Amino acid sequence: MKNIIFIMDIDLGGEGRFSSSRRAPYKFSINSWKHWAKNNNSEVFILNDLLMPYKDMGICWQRYYLFDILEANNIEYDQIAMVDADTIIHPNCPNFFEMTEGKFTGVHCDASYDWVCRSIENYSKYMFNGHSMPFWEYIDCGFMVVNKSHKEFFNNIINFYHENKFNFDELEKLHVGTDQTPVNILANKLNIDLKLLPYEYNMVDLPRKELLGEDLLFTKCGWIYQYNCIPNNKDNQATYYWMEKTYKHLYEN
Amino acid sequence: MKKNVIYWIGVVNPDHNDKYGNFDYFEYSKNTWKHFCKRFDCHFVELNKPIEDDLFKFRINWQKALFVFDELEKRNIEYDQIALVDSSCMYKWDAPNFFDLTERKFVGWRDVDNMRWTNDSIVGYKDMFNGFELDRTKYINSGFIIFNELHKDFFQSFKKLYYDNVDKFCELQDKIVKKGTEQTPLNYWLQINNIELKTDLPIAFKLTHLHRKQMFGYNWQLNEDKTPFVIKYGYNWIFNGLPKHERPQIMKQLWDYVKHNYSTDILDTTVHKDTHKFTTSKEFKKDILKYFGNGYKDKTLIELGCCQGTTTKIYAECFSKVIGVDIDSWNIEQAKKNCINNSNVEFIQQDLYNSEWNFPQADVIVIDAGHTYEHIIKDVPKIKEYFNNPIIIIDDYGNPNQTIRKGIDELIKNKIITIKHKIGANSGFKTATGLVFNDMEGIICKS
Repeated sequence: MKNIIFIMDIDLGGEGRFSSSRRAPYKFSINSWKHWAKNNNSEVFILNDLLMPYKDMGICWQRYYLFDILEANNIEYDQIAMVDADTIIHPNCPNFFEMTEGKFTGVHCDASYDWVCRSIENYSKYMFNGHSMPFWEYIDCGFMVVNKSHKEFFNNIINFYHENKFNFDELEKLHVGTDQTPVNILANKLNIDLKLLPYEYNMVDLPRKELLGEDLLFTKCGWIYQYNCIPNNKDNQATYYWMEKTYKHLYEN
Repeated sequence: MKKNVIYWIGVVNPDHNDKYGNFDYFEYSKNTWKHFCKRFDCHFVELNKPIEDDLFKFRINWQKALFVFDELEKRNIEYDQIALVDSSCMYKWDAPNFFDLTERKFVGWRDVDNMRWTNDSIVGYKDMFNGFELDRTKYINSGFIIFNELHKDFFQSFKKLYYDNVDKFCELQDKIVKKGTEQTPLNYWLQINNIELKTDLPIAFKLTHLHRKQMFGYNWQLNEDKTPFVIKYGYNWIFNGLPKHERPQIMKQLWDYVKHNYSTDILDTTVHKDTHKFTTSKEFKKDILKYFGNGYKDKTLIELGCCQGTTTKIYAECFSKVIGVDIDSWNIEQAKKNCINNSNVEFIQQDLYNSEWNFPQADVIVIDAGHTYEHIIKDVPKIKEYFNNPIIIIDDYGNPNQTIRKGIDELIKNKIITIKHKIGANSGFKTATGLVFNDMEGIICKS
């Protein structure tokens, strides 16, 4: 049985988070994952279609139907890595599926703690009756590894969303994330056993680490790169630039 | 008896006084670590003089690692685990004891702040270590590490390595790599010697590059608690990765914000009117402790207008039961936090002037609610009747902006109360907001 890399690549057209311009560089991400999967007994599954209109369920939230989607497509799986399409994996990245110990696995979000702490506090107050979590266990949901034992957890996430949809829509106006913080707090609340991998397995906010430069130093310092928090990124042009450059450097040289 | 040790590094180098602001910040760091040692019964051992005098060849950062075991043994200190702590670290007053979490391994925290810097340093020293491939996911910061006697041989071999290659290390450090001192060589040596490293303790224990992490702010969206995130969520605040000349000022600001939490003198555990608006002066609190002392330990006090509970915790020292009442929910929330360690205190949110009173009987009543003539001339008779002639403490008697004194003087003239003591700051005292008292701050009255 193979492990699965699950990536969402939805094109809604127009402006916004899932606009065509934003997803233009996703091809570099998908290709890098396909390459890595081939060498690591894994398969890539791309979700191109929404399950329901995004007004009924936020796009990011629909990915938590993961298990239903795979089963509806008759895909057998062992572990599944849910990764964002703005990531690129190094071809020599060690097989992280072997490091999970069968636990819900992610990488601590070592980025702006102002944002992280505000997000936890806001969701804690408005959605979780004050239930909070340690900021050092907070993961970035752009890279998560799960297995069959997490089906119930994902069902809980989906149910929680539908029961609180109006509040979620309101809270998102505070710009402290969509699914990421609620998923983190829920994982904590439900005592989901969490395995944290080192930063090198989901390198968010590269500029803050002084790694994003023409020398592509980050490709020497870690394995999975997430192209978020990039300044001066009008129409996602900078994202495209860096993802294309990274892909060519790692896969076409 | 063997105890855990805080090995604190604070050597003043007069040549660098300007660069480090005369090293004034040492004191703030040291206070917090001495507090830690007292809480958890540890030895506080200070390295405040160089062991090798040549500070070019033997930077203090090298000396702290090279001589740690020699120094402890020279000073006849029976050590268990040792935390090596730089003077740029300050430890939170109520944070947990990290010695309990080490599993007796060599403990460090990942250094992933400026990864370009760490990369350059790792690459720069690689040849020095015969091309050893360092596992970067285990690269640690050396400003705060924990180890024990099992690691003595390791440190002795590290010392030998340095003495054998001192000129080469100095050249790399000062002329070629120019990225750090002992940190990267220590990392190489740890991995070359297969020292088992524990790197998974929460980063709250080693919060470096605080500005880069954006931890000096607070949640301006909820705007309920203005405590900076670093203080709220961090355990060990490390002031590195910022211009060195800014360090003393930033550490001072933080120390001024938290210092009252470190004192064992009750008067130092709360804030006072010379620096904070919504409280009483230190003199006021001192007089309360003096006047009531231990003679009221079986009695109850009710504070009408407890504000944020900064004086309430002083009353809690003298009475068996203290009830604080305030109209404002934010004040009540802060008061609960300020009195979190006082189990004999209870708070009630209530509008005293537009609700029915349902308080238990009390022996002493503090009036610090409505601050006008009209309030005070109604409050005092009502309190006398409701509480059966209690002792009454009234704040802000000497406040020039309010008409409380006019009301009190009228009550005295009409023989409704008599002043037993004037208390608190004297006439001429200047408050945090710039007011200057024109009489003593408060009074204790008998019905």
